[in-house]
Amino acid sequence: MRICVGQILGAHGVRGLVKLASFTEDPEAISHYGDLTDQAGTRTFPVELVGSNKGHWIARIDKVDDRDAAQALGGTRLFVDRAALPPPDEDEFYHADLIGLRAELADGTVLGTVAAMHNFGAGDIVELALPSGKRPLLPFDRETVPEIDPAAGRIVVDPPPGLLDEAKSGDVQP
Amino acid sequence: MARSVWKGPFLDGYLLKKADKSRSSGRNEILKIWSRRSTILPQFVGLTFGVYNGQKFIPVLVTDNMIGHKFGEFSPTRTFYGHASDKKSKRS
Repeated sequence: MRICVGQILGAHGVRGLVKLASFTEDPEAISHYGDLTDQAGTRTFPVELVGSNKGHWIARIDKVDDRDAAQALGGTRLFVDRAALPPPDEDEFYHADLIGLRAELADGTVLGTVAAMHNFGAGDIVELALPSGKRPLLPFDRETVPEIDPAAGRIVVDPPPGLLDEAKSGDVQP
Repeated sequence: MARSVWKGPFLDGYLLKKADKSRSSGRNEILKIWSRRSTILPQFVGLTFGVYNGQKFIPVLVTDNMIGHKFGEFSPTRTFYGHASDKKSKRS
């Protein structure tokens, strides 16, 4: 599995430097996971960060020596192999491992899939995508998500009462 | 201008009743609230609120360091999904 960690935005200057957007948690970590590749994994981009400007990195890519070559790479998304990421701590999960897993109730009923993970400053949140089109949000804690099994492609959720059926008739704003 | 101290923190009255009721029942439930303008008080620590963002209820687990902030600060009305990349979540 490949994980997108950044994108080449365009050329910087006339000496073949490129502007680079980093999607990693620590922006500098984009250069810590070894050589970056394109989506297919056929082309490798050995990247060296040389500075930053206006919220993005300025980088030098091996064998890209002039502005035309740098500009031609604009829009290229950069990937690393999932195996290049360090193993997470206990009870810690990469979003890339969680997104797409099947969400089931304890009795095996399939609810939907994990659509996204969020953290708005008050704890981690799992966003599910239900077949009905609804996207409920559940707290990412042991009570609500008692079991996570990426190898089996599933998580078990125990949603608090009333959270999945958001538009109940008795549920009115005071 | 900042709010006058003598008034105390602003709070929609029904929140305290709702929190008290939840504590006494002892059930693990999400308290759905619409009052994004209310201040988070020490009485709310440990409870999980579902704070409405105009579309859905965002789970907000209240912790010590959130006291004094408003509920709405933890329930954004515009969601930017971004990239999963190397981001991690720890199950609490």
